Amino acid sequence: MKITFKIWRQEGANSEGSLKTYDIDGLTEDMSFLEALDHLNERLVLKGEKVVAFDHDCREGICGQCGVFINGRAHGPHDHMTTCQLHMRSFKDGDIIVVEPYRAGAFPVIKDLVVDRTAFDRIIEQGAYITAKTGTAAEANAILIPKEVADSSMDVAACIGCGACVATCKNASAALFTSAKINHLNKLPQGHPEAHKRVLDMTNQMAIENFGSCTFTAACEVECPAGISISSIAEMNARYIKAKLFE
Amino acid sequence: MFYRKNIIAVTGMFLCVFLIVHLSANAILLFPETTARTLYNSYSTTLRESIVIKIVAYLLYLSIIFHVVYAAIVTYKNRRSKKDKYIMNHKHETSSWASQNMGLLGVLILIFIVVHLVNFWARVKLGIGEKVGLDAYGNIDVYEVTYSLFHNIYYVLFYSVLMIPLGFHLHHGLQSAFKTLGFYHKKGLAVLAKISLIYAIIMSIGFAIIPVIVYFK
Amino acid sequence: MTLDSKIPAGRLEDKWTSYQAKSHLINPANKKKLNILVVGSGLAGAGAAATLAELGYEVQCFCYQDSARRAHSVAAQGGINAAKNYQHDGDSVWRMFYDTLKGGDFRSREANTYRLAELSAPLIDHFVQQGVPFAREYGGVLANRSFGGVQVQRTFYARGQTGQQLLLAAYSQLSKMIRAKKVEMLARHEVLDIVVIKGKAKGVIARDLATGEIKRFAADAVVLATGGYSRVFRLSTLAIGCNGSAIWKAHKRGAYFAAPSFTQIHPTALPQTSESQSKLTLMSESLRNDGRIWVPKKEDDNRQAKDIPEEERDYYLERRYPSFGNLAPRDIASRAAKERIDAGYGVGQLKNAVYLDFKHAIKKLGKDVIQDKYGNLFSMYEKITGINAYEEPMKISPAAHFSMGGLWVDYELMTSIPGLYAIGECNYSDHGANRLGANSLLQTSIDGYFILPNTINNYLEGELKETRPDVNHPEFVKVEDEVKSQIGKILAINGHRTTDDFHRELGKVMWQECAMSRNKKGLQKAILQIKEIKDAFWKEVKVTGYDNEMNPELEKALRLADFIELAILMCTDALERNESCGAHFREEYQTEDGEAMRNDEDYKYVSVWEYDAGDFKLHKEVLEFEYVQPTVRSYK
Repeated sequence: MKITFKIWRQEGANSEGSLKTYDIDGLTEDMSFLEALDHLNERLVLKGEKVVAFDHDCREGICGQCGVFINGRAHGPHDHMTTCQLHMRSFKDGDIIVVEPYRAGAFPVIKDLVVDRTAFDRIIEQGAYITAKTGTAAEANAILIPKEVADSSMDVAACIGCGACVATCKNASAALFTSAKINHLNKLPQGHPEAHKRVLDMTNQMAIENFGSCTFTAACEVECPAGISISSIAEMNARYIKAKLFE
Repeated sequence: MFYRKNIIAVTGMFLCVFLIVHLSANAILLFPETTARTLYNSYSTTLRESIVIKIVAYLLYLSIIFHVVYAAIVTYKNRRSKKDKYIMNHKHETSSWASQNMGLLGVLILIFIVVHLVNFWARVKLGIGEKVGLDAYGNIDVYEVTYSLFHNIYYVLFYSVLMIPLGFHLHHGLQSAFKTLGFYHKKGLAVLAKISLIYAIIMSIGFAIIPVIVYFK
Repeated sequence: MTLDSKIPAGRLEDKWTSYQAKSHLINPANKKKLNILVVGSGLAGAGAAATLAELGYEVQCFCYQDSARRAHSVAAQGGINAAKNYQHDGDSVWRMFYDTLKGGDFRSREANTYRLAELSAPLIDHFVQQGVPFAREYGGVLANRSFGGVQVQRTFYARGQTGQQLLLAAYSQLSKMIRAKKVEMLARHEVLDIVVIKGKAKGVIARDLATGEIKRFAADAVVLATGGYSRVFRLSTLAIGCNGSAIWKAHKRGAYFAAPSFTQIHPTALPQTSESQSKLTLMSESLRNDGRIWVPKKEDDNRQAKDIPEEERDYYLERRYPSFGNLAPRDIASRAAKERIDAGYGVGQLKNAVYLDFKHAIKKLGKDVIQDKYGNLFSMYEKITGINAYEEPMKISPAAHFSMGGLWVDYELMTSIPGLYAIGECNYSDHGANRLGANSLLQTSIDGYFILPNTINNYLEGELKETRPDVNHPEFVKVEDEVKSQIGKILAINGHRTTDDFHRELGKVMWQECAMSRNKKGLQKAILQIKEIKDAFWKEVKVTGYDNEMNPELEKALRLADFIELAILMCTDALERNESCGAHFREEYQTEDGEAMRNDEDYKYVSVWEYDAGDFKLHKEVLEFEYVQPTVRSYK
């Protein structure tokens, strides 16, 4: 199949970028979207041009490194899917595909489609952990956790940290990401001792990083590859208020 | 960043409750003219003279001011968080139009409120503009103000059409306020979404239809 | 140099305890003065970096991804083994040790393997404490499931995302220590060479992938935790960026490479569908708990799966291995699939797959139960293939997956270069010639959390009196120049073939000759072919862009250059071992019914290779079995 790509090219963080058009033939429906980009890059190399830089790694939807805006949607036209899971069978022969980097003040472009998401790491650093040293654990079954609690913790722990929630949000809010991590730990008994501090510190960092605030457009839950619901954000809000009241 | 959203939510919810009271009062206008005039005027006199209502009124003014000011701040900050826009953005596929445009809807409603206050509050309470007379019982004849206003087709259109953005604003705003304040029960949220929709429909149609009915009266 | 595995004396059960009791300690004030580089941020790397930092060392941790949380440990699906015996089904440390040793076809050290089993139970305690949401029973206790190669239920899991949850726990501990300013995280940094001064590892040369800048890092010890190198086959279940460059460069600087050809081919990956495919997605082995594997009894059967009646289906694993059935170990399941596919019974477009069928399980347990257990795997399958596996069987196929081989390490996980450690998948230690399912997360975590932090002090204590070399030391300058000149050389070739093109060619040769089954002639031919690929690569490759910028094409080419050299060693290793053991199946050495024939008389050793100016010199670490007598590994 033949596709016309319009891809955002930007030399570096401080350069101007623009959409460049590439007509590319020889694609097949079974190719993943990223394989189509590989295919394009091979053609570019042979023409002596620089390849399109894009982030990717595991290519099975779990590492969270890939992520671009495809035809006006984070991770492409489907809900709950990563860019690497998108296949060319979702497009028609002759389609035009517009590919842009994730846009958010907190995610500056490094090059082409690659953005800097280290703001997420800094949010995690502010308390997305249990303060306990290696070697200090008690017998695992000494902590009983009802299945429902473990399951609902797992629901949010499934976040892959791809940043699609921020990318799709008109406010570039990181509320879904941050809430998922806070709720994962705060739901579990292991997370209780630091629960209040965790929610206050992490949400504070979220503000420092220039993420916007959540206005519940719910676009994030549609794009989230892990299917995390915005009720997670509401839950974080509840935990925040509780922490403020009882701190 | 949370306290601003919480203020918007709390003030918004308060305004939602106020709208219910306001709409119930407006319903008086649907009675036959003499009954409506008497009831409406005495009701508004009661409101003006009650200390409790006075306090509530100030809360109301404050709510509107805080709601608007904080919404403006949040919107400004949120826009600053997302300076670069996408060239192609299919946001309608992922979220409702209202949720993407609460600011615009808010501005329309604010314009409405200003005009509404000029039409009523400024005349009745501040005595600005054409003098308002008294009815047979000696109450200020607010009914007459309303009646004459809603016999101007432009005002009827203004008052009715602007209830559409109100409806959208309420539909998204009410449920969001609950979520902002930490209501996260999953099934409860589904019920809440329905309640918000019903509430928004009743409010917008209720407010919109009264000027039209009065016009044809 | 002689190979000293440093196995402590004493009873098997006491070795680790007595080792710890005797190893040198360093007081907290002195630990602060010591600097350790950890290359890689997966379960081994992040676990080690966090724990070493907790102990008081200064740590710098590198990863090539944009965040430590992306490391490929994240993709492990099925679970992690531990000898907890929660199921009351006769499990014990001894049994787990035996299963692992037997699973590896008696090609690993008893002492290492025993330690793996011994530390498995505390590791589960550790991860529970760290907030890993493991699956639970209604009563609140931990749940288990079974995995290939064993008859007890000892696998702990978090849906089909166990690796993700464990990695995120390690990443969160790492983040804790970054916040405490004890770890400096260097994401988007790829280590391109190791600096060895006076015979000891003293630093690395890394490239900042965002800017292209080449940087020097000096330290008192270097820990490699770079994962597996199965991307040498190009098509594998690994992440695209996984590479063998750091360990290969370490090998060239003197670290011995053990059993490089021992590669696990995973039986349940999604089949290749086209030439341009970049990776093969794994479907967790846990699916074999409830799924049944079959092919049609008729050759070249073009009917749809649902149209083939029960009596015309060949459940070949159940037929050949009645006691383990669909849960036969990976090497055996993969080879059995290959046997059927090669014989013309394969299914799917390219006839390169077998069916994994849940029809019976859904009928017996109900769709809800299957959904609860494997829901995310089924939805992943549907996303990639567009097929609903609740309705029709999955099509699966073997794929290169795990490197049992890696840098040779002693009991302390130190390579043959003093001060250079290798932990996790990049070393050769506990798995022997084949790794059991759910032992990978275990080994990598234990190496990082429990073993290395207890052994590195034994070496570092001696380094306290030495001064750490400055990054301006001539050796740093020299190694950096070598790195830069290699980059310059690649960019200057300006040939007419892409890096991917060479990688595809290499992958085909390796998959053909050095994967599930190998033979002398094929391996000899492969070595010649790979040497030709190497020559061609250095003459004809074309890499665009510059060295001083983000340049993904250059990254790929540098990795491939090392893969090509590594591939030659892998084939050399496979050629040398004239027996079949575990994943290493030499066609010349098989029984009449196609089972592997191990040769303990001549090959009861680990092949340890020394780099010798472009050639490889073999050393043998003879394996002593004091507690278990090697038996024929049968799963019939």
